[in-house]
Amino acid sequence: MILYLTLKHMHKLIYILFFIVFAAKAQTPMNNTEATALKTKVKALANTTNTISSDFIQYKHLDFLDNDIKTSGKLAFKAPDLVKWEYIDPFKYSILFKDETLFINDEGNKSNVDIGSNKMFKQLNKLIISSVKGDMFDDAEFNIEYFKKDTNSLVYFSPKDKKFAKYIQAFHITFNTKGDVIEVKMIEPSQDYTKIIFLNKVLNQTLDNAIFTN
Amino acid sequence: MDVAVTSNVFNPYFSNLNQDYIYKANIEVYDNTFGGLFIVKKIAEQHHRIVFTTEMGNKLFDFTFNNEDFKVNYILEDLDKKILINILKKDFRVLITENLKTTKAYALTKETIKKTSLNNKDYYYFENPEISKVIRVNNGKEKVRFLFSEINDNIAQKIVILHSNIKLKINLKSIN
Repeated sequence: MILYLTLKHMHKLIYILFFIVFAAKAQTPMNNTEATALKTKVKALANTTNTISSDFIQYKHLDFLDNDIKTSGKLAFKAPDLVKWEYIDPFKYSILFKDETLFINDEGNKSNVDIGSNKMFKQLNKLIISSVKGDMFDDAEFNIEYFKKDTNSLVYFSPKDKKFAKYIQAFHITFNTKGDVIEVKMIEPSQDYTKIIFLNKVLNQTLDNAIFTN
Repeated sequence: MDVAVTSNVFNPYFSNLNQDYIYKANIEVYDNTFGGLFIVKKIAEQHHRIVFTTEMGNKLFDFTFNNEDFKVNYILEDLDKKILINILKKDFRVLITENLKTTKAYALTKETIKKTSLNNKDYYYFENPEISKVIRVNNGKEKVRFLFSEINDNIAQKIVILHSNIKLKINLKSIN
């Protein structure tokens, strides 16, 4: 009887241990040395990145929907601040930041916004570039938490600015072993989120200027 | 001509509980135009959630319609204007209201026009036999026109909401 109970408990214990180990493997906090090393790696890569081209898949999660809304497209970046973010499926929509202007092409309907004087769009431009590169390690702007996730790194950036935080509560950015961004998750205060997964990402390949037209 | 016997109005376009209704939206307001995603979900009978986000997924507004109740779950500060919210509330209620009592009907060769009322406003529903057009009328004048086209399996692939007294046009195109 005692043996039986012990065995029964052992099973339970093993199960719990297994679960803890498994959960721990999924995501553990980094120590300071690991966090500094990651930061250095990401910054070094960001500083030597002159161009980025990538495909992306975006999932918009709204709690009340049965399925996430899936959209996909392409991203192109050229230092210092040329960015084209283009949705291809299921609709065509692109935004291009160029010469202090935001060019929008909404299924052929073109419009533009002068961002020279618009603080919000300047911030958006900066935000897209820094999140694509992952270089958001600004302690003045964000509360930052570092995790290990399998072989990747995961960093939570929570905006300190109250107005910003009302819009996005946190960015969860996943880096691969090279320090390159492979996933960005933007979480709203309601816990709904937008998840962007980068695929076929190529750094420092010569990008034709023709890509950066609307 | 007036017809004596008639049925009530049934609008099926946002009536399926198992459907996520996702539209690419384009809104023309005065001389500005902006786009986004218009999302409708029927949560339960007479209970809908309507959310508008940018293409990149940022929420611009999030409304709940539950029977007669209306709740703003979220709205971007720049859009938080009572007059705008009231217009949207009134327009969206037309989209999601499924059953209306016909008070008068006119039978034409190709379509039937049914007069109804919603929140004390007069509406005319044009059926051929699907609802293709809804017009809100006040003092004999058209105020808002709703156009439904490319109807497929009770989903209107295209919806246009056109206001005549203010410069506001909402274009919706189904993407799922």
